[in-house]
Formats: sequence, C-alpha cells, structure tokens
Amino acid sequence: MKRYTSLNFTALACAALLATTSLSQAAVTVLGWPGGPEETALRAASEAYNAKSDTAEDDKVELIFFNRDGFFDKLQADLAAGTDAFDLNLLATYSIGRYAPFMKPIELSDNAQDVYGDAVLSTMQFDGKQYGVPTDLSMHFMYYRKDLIDALLADEAAKSRYGEISEKYLGEALMPKNPDDWSWKDYAATALYFTKAINPDSPTRYGTVLQMKNLLFNIMVFHSLPRSNGGDWLDAEGNVVVDSDAYRDALKMYKLLADNGATPKDSLSYEYAEANAAFGAGQVAAMMQWNAAAGDLTNAETTPVIAGKVGTVAPPTGPEGRFTHIHGLGLGLNKNARNEDGARRFAKWLSTPEAVTVYARNGGAPGLTEKIVATVAEERPDLVPLGDYASNYGFVMNGGTSAKALSVYELQAKEFTGYWAGQQSLDEALTKTKSGMEELLK
Amino acid sequence: MLAANKYENPILLAPMVLFLLAFLGFPAVVDIIYSFSEITFETLRAPKLSGIGNYQKVLADPEFWQAAGFSLKFGLVTAALECLLGLFLAVFLSPLFEKRTWLLAVIMMPMMVAPAMVGLMYRLVLHEFVGPLPYYFYIWFGDSPSFLGSDNIFTTLVIIETLQWTPFAFLLCYVAYRGIPAELREAASVDGAKALRMLWYIELPLMLPTIAIAFFIRFIDGFRVFDNIFVLAGSGPGGSTTSMSIFIYLAFFKLGKIGTAVAASMLLFVAVLCLLVVVSRLSQRRASA
Amino acid sequence: MKGFVTALRWIVFLVAAVAMNFPVISTLVTSLKTNAEISSNPGLWVQKPTLENYARVLEVTERLDIFSYLFNSAVASLIGAILPIILAFPAAYAVARRGYGRNILLPVVVNLRAMPLVIFAIPIYMMYQWVGLLDTRLGLGLILAVVNLPLALVILVNAINDIPIELDEAARIDGAKIGSIIMRIVAPVCRPALATTFIFGFITAWNEFLFGLMLTTREATPVTVGASFFFSASGGGVQWGVAAAVMIVAALPPVLLGLIMYRQISGSMTAGAVKG
Repeated sequence: MKRYTSLNFTALACAALLATTSLSQAAVTVLGWPGGPEETALRAASEAYNAKSDTAEDDKVELIFFNRDGFFDKLQADLAAGTDAFDLNLLATYSIGRYAPFMKPIELSDNAQDVYGDAVLSTMQFDGKQYGVPTDLSMHFMYYRKDLIDALLADEAAKSRYGEISEKYLGEALMPKNPDDWSWKDYAATALYFTKAINPDSPTRYGTVLQMKNLLFNIMVFHSLPRSNGGDWLDAEGNVVVDSDAYRDALKMYKLLADNGATPKDSLSYEYAEANAAFGAGQVAAMMQWNAAAGDLTNAETTPVIAGKVGTVAPPTGPEGRFTHIHGLGLGLNKNARNEDGARRFAKWLSTPEAVTVYARNGGAPGLTEKIVATVAEERPDLVPLGDYASNYGFVMNGGTSAKALSVYELQAKEFTGYWAGQQSLDEALTKTKSGMEELLK
Repeated sequence: MLAANKYENPILLAPMVLFLLAFLGFPAVVDIIYSFSEITFETLRAPKLSGIGNYQKVLADPEFWQAAGFSLKFGLVTAALECLLGLFLAVFLSPLFEKRTWLLAVIMMPMMVAPAMVGLMYRLVLHEFVGPLPYYFYIWFGDSPSFLGSDNIFTTLVIIETLQWTPFAFLLCYVAYRGIPAELREAASVDGAKALRMLWYIELPLMLPTIAIAFFIRFIDGFRVFDNIFVLAGSGPGGSTTSMSIFIYLAFFKLGKIGTAVAASMLLFVAVLCLLVVVSRLSQRRASA
Repeated sequence: MKGFVTALRWIVFLVAAVAMNFPVISTLVTSLKTNAEISSNPGLWVQKPTLENYARVLEVTERLDIFSYLFNSAVASLIGAILPIILAFPAAYAVARRGYGRNILLPVVVNLRAMPLVIFAIPIYMMYQWVGLLDTRLGLGLILAVVNLPLALVILVNAINDIPIELDEAARIDGAKIGSIIMRIVAPVCRPALATTFIFGFITAWNEFLFGLMLTTREATPVTVGASFFFSASGGGVQWGVAAAVMIVAALPPVLLGLIMYRQISGSMTAGAVKG
C-alpha cells in the first residue's frame, strides 16, 4: 500500500510537471450542456461577454461540450481524476452534492438575489454555500389538448359518460373541469375517459402517456404527484419516510392508469422523446412533461398534428397542495481550474441582469424574478409562468441535493418501475426503497 | 513438431505481452487494489484497504446473480441463434455469393452501425405512433404487440441482437466453408454422396472448429452486451434487463460503488478464466486422443 | 429443379437482407424525411424527400465538424485494427504451432473480451493523464488495439491451425528463418483470416463509445461521440431526422471498407488449394 502511495506521488509530480510545461491556457474554458437551447444561449452570452471592452484578453471565454449521453459519467471521471481541461462546468441540482468535493464555491454578483430570487439560487447551493450560478430551470408542466377538453366540457352526454367511468375506476363520480382546476383525481379520470379501450368513442387512443422507463429523470416527473399528497424523502429529523401513504397512493395511481391501458402499452420503455412523440401524434389527451418540451409541442413545423391545440398549466393539485418538481442547471468552478480568477469573473457576470437578459433572449430558460422577467417578457412570454410556477409550486425533496441524491433517484426508478411492471408488490417496492435510501443517506 | 530455437517462442509472444502489460498492467494493479478497498470518486488516489468486504457484498447481492443469469441466458440464446442462422445462410447461399461477391457486403451491413445507434434507432422503429413496425402491424393486423412491455422485452432484445450479429457468425462460417478443399468434395461426390450427406459427414466436421469459435465469440459478446440494451430499455423495469455489464456500469458510475463494480469484474474474470482453461484442456485432450 | 433451388436461394437472401438491414433501411428512410413528416408518417414511403438533414450534418461550423470526427475515428480505428494483427500474428503462430502459451496466456488474453471495459476507464484515464495521451488520436487508437487483441488472437490461432503443418516444415528444412516463414509462407495463406480480423477490428473500433467518450475532450473526439452533438434536442430529446442522417454518414466508412475488403475475404482461397 505504501509503495502504491509513493508511486502515486511520483506520478503526481510528473503530472504537475507536465501541467506547468504545457502552455498555460489563457482563456476561460467552460463546459456547457450540449445541443438544444441551453447551448445556443450560453454561446450568445459568452459572445456578449467576450465583446465587452473590459474583458481582458486572458479572460475570453471558450466553450467546450461533451456528448450528452454519458455526459455526467465523463464529467465524474474528469473531476475525480483532477482534470484542468475546463474551468467552469455544468452542474445540476441533483448532482451538486456529488460534485461538490471537486468544486469550489463561487460569489455571484450583488444583484443576484434580485435577479433569481431565493428559490432559484438554492437550486445551486450545497451545505449552505453557493456552488454555481443558475442558468436554466427545469420543471414540469401539464400539457393537455385544449380542443378535446373544450369539446368534453360542452357535451352533456360526454360529461355523464365521464362520470360513469370515474365512478367505475376511481370509485367517485367526477365532473369534467377546467385543467387549471384539476386535482390528480380529475387528471386520472380524464386519462381514463380518453382511452379507447375504456371509452370506444374517445378521439385519442390513450388518455395520457406516462414515462415509466427505469430512468432517474422519469422519477422526477413522477415526484410532483406524491409531493402533492404530502410525500417527502426525509422528515425534519432526517428519517427516511418514503414508505408513506402519500407515495403509496401515488404509485397506485400510476399503476391503475397503466393496468387499465390509459397509457401506451410500451410505456415501461418510454422517456422524454417517446412521450412527446405519442402526444405529438395526437393520440394522447394530457400528460406531465418537462417545460423544455413546450417549444416543440407548440411548433407547427415539428408537430403539425396538434399545433395550436395544446394548453399548458402547472401539474394538478393534491390534498397537500399543488407542486412541481424543480431542478436547475448551472455553472460551477472546477477546483483544478487553470484560470480560476477569470472563471470567477465570468460566473459573476453571468448573474448580472445584463447577462441573464442576453441568456433569456437567446433561448435559455433561466428562472427569473418578476422584475427581471418583465424586461424580456415580450420575446419570451413562456418565461413568465416559469418563474411564477417555480416560486409558487416549486419544490426539491428533503435530501434532494445530498451527495447521494442521484443514487436515490436511481434506486426509486428501479424499485418503482418493478412495481409498475408487476414484478414486485407495492410493499416490497417501498420496503426495498426505504432500506436502500437509509443505506444511501445515513 | 518442429524443433524450435529456445528463444523463438518467447520472442514471438513478446510484442503482444509487452503491449498488454504496458496498457493493462497499471490499470489491473489499480483495479485489484480497488477491489480490496473502500473507494469512492473522492479517494481514487488514496484507497483505504478493507479486505474482502467488496467480494462478500457482491456474492451476497441478489442483483449480481440476477444480472449474471440474464447475461448467461442472453449470451447462450443469441449465440446459438446467430450461429445456426449464420451457418445456414453461409451454406445455402454460398452459390449466390460465389458468382456475385458484392452480395456479401449487403449481408455485412448491419454490423457497420454502432450498437448504441442501433438501440437509438429501434426506439424510433418500435414506437407505437411514429415507428414503421407498429404502423404496418396496425395496417395489416389491426393491432400491434407491446414490443418492449415486460412480457416481450427479452424476446425483442434477443431478436435485435441476433439480427445485427448473425452476419458475424455468417462471415466466419462462409470463410470456413469456402476454405474446404475442392478435392475433398470431388472425392466425395465421386462416391455419389448426396449434398446433405456431404454436408453432414464431410463439410460440417471440417467447419466445426470455426463454428465453435464463432459461437464462443458471440457468446462472450452476448454475455457482455451493453449499448443496445441500455439505450433501448435502460436496465429494464425493476432492473429486469440488467446485463452483467449494465450491473457493473450502474454500480460504478450511477451508484458510485467502485469497489463493488471492480470486485464483480474480478469475479467475472476468474469465472471466465476457469471456464476457458477447462474448455481448452478438454479440447486438447480430445484432439490428442 | 435447379432453377427452383436458385429461386429459393434468392428469396432467402432477400428475406435475410431485409430483416437484418431493417434498422439501416428504416434509418435511411427517416434521414430523408422532414421533422413534420416523421411525426405524421411512420411508413417507409417518403412523401416529400429532403436532404435538409444531411445538409445539417455536413455543414462545418466552429462548433461542429463531422469531417474531423470522421478523421479522428478513421485514424484511431486504423491503429486499433492494424496494431492487434501485427502483435497477435506472431503470437498466434507460437500458440497454434507450438502450443506455447496455450494453457495460460491464450485464456487470459481471450478473457479480456469478456471484461466490462468500464472498470478500466478510470485507471487508464489517470495513466493517460500522466503520459500525455489524453485527448489524442494515438491514445484512443492504442486502447482500441487493446480492445481488439483478444478477437484477433482467437481468429488467427484458428486460421493457423487450419494450415497444413507440412507447409512450414518444408520451408524450415530449406533453412528459412522463423520470421520469413511467418511473413512469406503463413501470412499469404492466412489472407482471408487476416482480412476478416481487420474488418471486425475496424468495425469494433469504429463503433466503440466508452473510451471515445472518456478519453477525449476536444481534439480527438470520434464520430460515435460527436454524433449526438448534432441531434440532441432540448430536455434530453432527439431530433430523429438529423440523428438518422448522422448514423448513415457515420456508417459509410466501414461499409466502404467492407466493399473493398470482401474480395479478400472470399477471393483468396489458397488455404484450401494447398490443403489437399
């Protein structure tokens, strides 16, 4: 063992030598989230920064990107090995605890509070310190077909059929409502009503599309439901309380919808893209989906079948309130950054009103306070509800930024999908989740 | 046996052995240390030795055995299907390829696409609303099966793997089939042997070593399958499509249990090594008998 | 009767070709569709063919350069396909002819193919960091050579086993050195096996993802990793049309290589000619 360590020291010395001999790179290198609007926005922001007269030549920002598949694995390997290939790198709320040992806290601009508000700033905090400057905010909307719901609300015969179906499957006769007033029960009733297998007159083949692939992001989409039942990961004392009725009822509702065919039969392999494709084909009445889908689903070019017929609201309400799971993307400082000071200056600038407006105008989705969002509302009307929902309905599970948060999502994905697929009982799934979480979060 | 110069054999092996030592020597030592340590991404450079704890944990982990079972089944089924199909195509279609060699390229094409890409493409191909396969199923049969539901997913994955890698077995079999000396065939046909009898008594025995190699390689590749399954199904509902490679990958990156991942790999290495040594001993004994 | 059998052969060929190539065919069709058509027409008939997706892929920008990814892949894959043959061929001769290393070395090397490569990712990353091979085509090619060695060794041992031993014994008696026996006598007879090894090695190297992802950052990115730069859409989605076009472009080089090499695979049947 000792030999191994000394060997390591030699190696480290060599590495240090190599690092100093190789030309020290002057620019600030930033590793961003590849593809999509986040990249476009970051590009525009860095160009604006580089063009500023007071940006020193050594502080000019250069962007690099990895592949999106395996992005976080690659980042993990790079950071763990102590890379200096980038100064600032992408951070996400759920992985902040995992990467914090390889990062340094940063300072934001003086107006950061006014720009983002506390809820959004906290998505980039760990252990009480600010580890990143928030860039984009992700949450869930309920997407629904306005045309179909309007027709339902105007048709008396359909309403009574809706009542019969909800009575039969949910044990409660419900009346159709405006989607903004839905509870999760109304959502379930609508999903069942618009399913051909249950209601042969349904204009769509399925009432909803659930993303039930064994994937951590799908569990985030699911989470708004147990939360609105009052569910959480940990109680105030730090005990794992996932084995609650809140989770139980939520898991049962997904299973009920899946077993009765209200979601496409391959839903156990569905994620973001599949769900959009099903909704985009016009065969689904309502679904929970990431806010990032709004652009595509309302664009006549990409989804001509449903363009102009899609409404979005925050997810439905439960007994304990209305919630949407939020997480943020941001940029944090690599501990081994070559140009730490330059990186700090860029991160600070990114949190100024000037920078966020450039970022927002070029397609980014920052979570902004009312005051700041007003300045870009004309070009980006979609950002208004984003900030609004984040401050009113946004939540992060207690424990959701811990070092093992990512692993908790993975664990839940595995156990919950096992229950939905009928491979284990609800009790088994929750018992295993609970003991697994206790192991991870102890 | 040729009388060899004393140093000749070591010299012949030296380049390969030195190359492997240079590239895998250090990683192997590191991994062996990791497998006996408490290790996280933060302590990569300072692992804390902890004895055989990782090995005990892996061996007691039902998920490890589930993954081993999945990989074993998947490897055996796909390798058998690929070899049977590949052999059949090589023998039956050989006259076509003799005249038009470029047809080989058509059969080889599926291998040229990266398995991860194939997995991605099948996500589109099998999608109920935008995929061509369900589309034609609905048109022709009025309904489409749930290709990726928990009942059918194993079959679907086997078919996808088989379709992509039958060409591999086919190519090896075809080379072996064409390599059978014409004189042997002529001698046999003078005896009036029918085509099927010739295949069974003369050609197949000659091709057997190659078929065994093809089966072996495809079994190994099927056993360690990763990309296409992971892209298409992840680790499956409740972890039901977790292959050995997926188990180790998830343990390594997603759960950060590096010690577990490495210990599992070491166990795998030892198990396969024992298997290989036994098989090679047996085949040598048979050859010398 | 003969005509019937030939017809049957063609039918079998066509069925096999279509079934095995279905994802390729479907990808080709998808690559010619517009986004709107992909979401509204799942069939294999393109209503309004477009080359827009290919234009997106082939356009070189500061950020995206498919040609440099292809070049990186080509260099790394050539190293990864040729080097194992050079290293494994003499070793295969010793194993096949003398049984040297058959009991330990052969199983150990072959066994490497069964190992999940992910466990080597971190140590190799650290090693490359020290020696400066990180993010280089050479570094990627060398590791792909390691990946390909087991397969090369198995195929070549098998091929040399098939050559009649009289062939090299005769040369030996004439006083030929071991090097020239391998190069002048054994290698030419093994040409189909060498070609097969090369093709399989090239394909494996070309399609490798994990090391391509882990060991490169911006200089040596191979096309498997670069591909998703083109088609990743917001929120983890996929732009299917562009994705399909990238896949077709990325698959072209190995396909062309296959076209060039198939003569080598089936053409030279010297092994058979000598055996009798």
